[in-house]
Amino acid sequence: MAIPRRSFLQCAVMASVMPRPAFAEVAGLRIVSLDYGLSSTLLSLGLPPLGISDLADWGRWVVEPVLPSSVIDVGSAYEINFEILVQLKPDIILTTPYLDELLPKLQPIAKVLRLEVFTPDAGPILPAATAATRRLAAEIGRQDEAEQFLARADALFANCRQRLAGKDIPPLALVNFEDARHARVYSAPGLFHNALERIGLRNAWTRQSNYWGFETIGIEQLSTITAPEARLIAFDPVPPDVLPKLAESPLWQRLPFSRAGHFSVLQPALMFGMVNEAMRFAALLTDLLEQDA
Amino acid sequence: MPSSRHNLGPAVAVLFLLCAGGAVSWLLAAPALSGPAEPGYDIARMVFHYSTLPRLATALLAGAALALSGALFQQVLRNPLADPTTLGVSAGANLALVVASLFLPGLLGAGRDVVALAGSAAAAAVVVSLGARRGFSPYSLVLSGLVLSLWCGGLAAILTYLNQKYLASLFIWGAGSLAQQSWAIPLSLLWKVAAIAIICALVIRPLSLLDLGESTSSALGVKLVRLRVIVIACAVTLAAFVTSAVGVIGFIGLVAPTIARLAGARRPAQLIFWSPLIGAALLFFADATLQFAAGGLSNFLPTGAVTAIFGSPLLLALLPRLKIRHRIQQAPLRKRSRRWDAKVSIAIAAAVLTVLLLLSISLGRAVGGSWTLVFGDYFRDILVIRLPKIFAVLASGAMLAVAGAILQRLTGNEMASPEVLGISAGSTFGVAIALFAIAPGFSGQFAFAVIGATLVLLVILLGARRAGFAPERVLLAGIALSAMVDAVVGVLSSTGDPRAVLLMRWMSGSTYLVDGTSAALEVAIAAVLITLALAARRWLDILPLGPAPSVAVGMPLAKARLALFGLAGLLTAAATLTVGPLSFVGLMGPHLAREAGLTRAMPQMIGAALIGGGLMVAADFVGRTIVSPYQIPAGLVSALIGAPFLMLMMRRRA
Repeated sequence: MAIPRRSFLQCAVMASVMPRPAFAEVAGLRIVSLDYGLSSTLLSLGLPPLGISDLADWGRWVVEPVLPSSVIDVGSAYEINFEILVQLKPDIILTTPYLDELLPKLQPIAKVLRLEVFTPDAGPILPAATAATRRLAAEIGRQDEAEQFLARADALFANCRQRLAGKDIPPLALVNFEDARHARVYSAPGLFHNALERIGLRNAWTRQSNYWGFETIGIEQLSTITAPEARLIAFDPVPPDVLPKLAESPLWQRLPFSRAGHFSVLQPALMFGMVNEAMRFAALLTDLLEQDA
Repeated sequence: MPSSRHNLGPAVAVLFLLCAGGAVSWLLAAPALSGPAEPGYDIARMVFHYSTLPRLATALLAGAALALSGALFQQVLRNPLADPTTLGVSAGANLALVVASLFLPGLLGAGRDVVALAGSAAAAAVVVSLGARRGFSPYSLVLSGLVLSLWCGGLAAILTYLNQKYLASLFIWGAGSLAQQSWAIPLSLLWKVAAIAIICALVIRPLSLLDLGESTSSALGVKLVRLRVIVIACAVTLAAFVTSAVGVIGFIGLVAPTIARLAGARRPAQLIFWSPLIGAALLFFADATLQFAAGGLSNFLPTGAVTAIFGSPLLLALLPRLKIRHRIQQAPLRKRSRRWDAKVSIAIAAAVLTVLLLLSISLGRAVGGSWTLVFGDYFRDILVIRLPKIFAVLASGAMLAVAGAILQRLTGNEMASPEVLGISAGSTFGVAIALFAIAPGFSGQFAFAVIGATLVLLVILLGARRAGFAPERVLLAGIALSAMVDAVVGVLSSTGDPRAVLLMRWMSGSTYLVDGTSAALEVAIAAVLITLALAARRWLDILPLGPAPSVAVGMPLAKARLALFGLAGLLTAAATLTVGPLSFVGLMGPHLAREAGLTRAMPQMIGAALIGGGLMVAADFVGRTIVSPYQIPAGLVSALIGAPFLMLMMRRRA
């Protein structure tokens, strides 16, 4: 009988912390999430969100985990559709510091839970995302599910690490092309940098970047990567005219990455996400490297 | 080829600019070339050979092509203000490219030039056909061209904003970036520009005969229509090629021929020969300076926007010096047989507005996407969200329309509108400063928008005072200023800062941040200002008759104009805060009111206010519901409907 008592206690604690009586029935919590990373985290905690923002673009940037068809689109994160939001009657709205200007308009609608992952003093993103996951779980009474989920993540990272062990993988540079001349390169303290570390790989871009974990560079800067066999991984979506333009640019042709086998395009994975997105990246990357090896 | 025997001025200008540009380029290149060559991938040298050098070559070519295009336009349209920017040709090409990249990306590989050409040709066709009906009055032509430019530029920017996640690079490109990563672009541009230049060389003689007047040149065997078509086609094609290669580079085609003229190139052949050289040297110098000054940021700073920042004040400064040969044709107050009594028209407009309001307040989209009336539980919740927006756009639409009516009466030009006056752009600039420099939240942005609008208004008024408030000067000055402000905003946006998204939201006329307080304020301001405008109805009835009758009836001409411009400015500033700088309601409202037979000032303003308010309410309703749960800003919806509507209307009436 340990479990019912425990969840009863959780509810009791939460009821004392949160003013609204709706929290007595945790299972039926109506949550709207205004951030992709938080949305996918909710799914993994076994509590699919009622509505999320930018649902239409989920397949282009996040892809996995797949959202249940019941999820409702509440409009773009830049312009939340408040009429829809009100009609959903949410208990909780999840936001990030990025949407702080909306706080006064969200607070009358529901309890607002503001979770910080990408902030100037958050440090490495993956641990910050893990902490945010635990905090979110505590707020909605899903601690057990959170621990199980985080254990699954650890297992996945460990599995990837094991699959790649002994394969002598060279350092990897991770980029998104902005145009044929510029790219965003991902490094510490970013999410994917942490994921690389977790699966035992080295980031070829060793310089620290901003708190989102990226730096915008001219492609010629990629030549400063000194590791001899380093590989370049670009993420989809690559803007349509970039690859043909690169092909005719000496700046690109003379980079070691333009040699066959040193450059790959990986399916989309959201670099500004949370634990799920790091897992997806690790899995996609491990598959790719195993295929090539 | 005309030689420089007669006049050394243009050659000196070219030499000076080239030397200055060369000196700055040397400063740019020196670090790359000074060190010993490193083995392997020598970044400094690689960038110098495949980025810096092709960029400078592109600057020379694009500058020459745009200046040639501008000189051709100026010669064939006999209009010293014509160039690919002021005629909307570059903006048309750019819009076509943006639309193609969004909806038909397959076209953009080999078909890039064709897409750009289609866009610029369409823009030229619209502007020239409008101009032809108004006797190619230089002022009208440029006004239509700039309105078209504003519209195309705004639409392109907004399409970018709506798709901003995966079009990050369009920002840079759309504002004309010369950044290169190989020799491919300058080489292909070279042969294209050369081919057009050869055609130009062939028509230079008949073209110079145009200055003798139409009948004389016809008598000398010039086939006028064919010549005009060929020359305009050349100019349009040049602009399209440049836009396709590097984006919109503002005002080079205006500035280079002006410098040539000031340096003493008087005859057409001289002008057409020297302008491209000056243009090449000018853009070369400008771009080298930009690269040198911006350092690491230079690849993201759009040269096109920077040339616009410096080019548009030059346009401003040149205005008083340019002799605008033809005065505007005072739009004759058409004595059409009134179909309806003014009262009936106004009653109909009021009834339609009431229906629109009721519809907009009560009808919406529910969670599943189905259409639904507000009901039961949600009634209060939904109305709290919906009502402020509806009344804010209503007030803004009414204010813009009244401002438009005032400006059109004041200037006697149907294309005059608050959007064109530049005050909207001033507000945008204020918001930009608030966002980027201080970021004080909504109320701060509000305050800065008012300050920005007021400053632009002051500059316009001060500039216009010297010219005795001659209407064409005021409007052109407003446009020049608005182009400059737009360019500054473009530069800010292209730094890749996330705050740029907020700025774009503002520009697109989104009512997202409107709440009860700001809506109430907006309505109150509208009530006060529109009452003031109605009080000035006598002035507005007399002014369109021309300066002489106005003075004759004892009206203080300069003071009346000053007061009315001021009032129009305040109306615009207040409205822009809600619906953004691009709504075009200020053009449509007064037009429709006149169409409905409301010709006197008082009924026209009342009718315009009702119609303008109704248009904005309808636009807000469409934007809110059509792609729900996503929302299209009301300002954008009304601009998308408004501008083409206006073009159609002008065709019909002219």
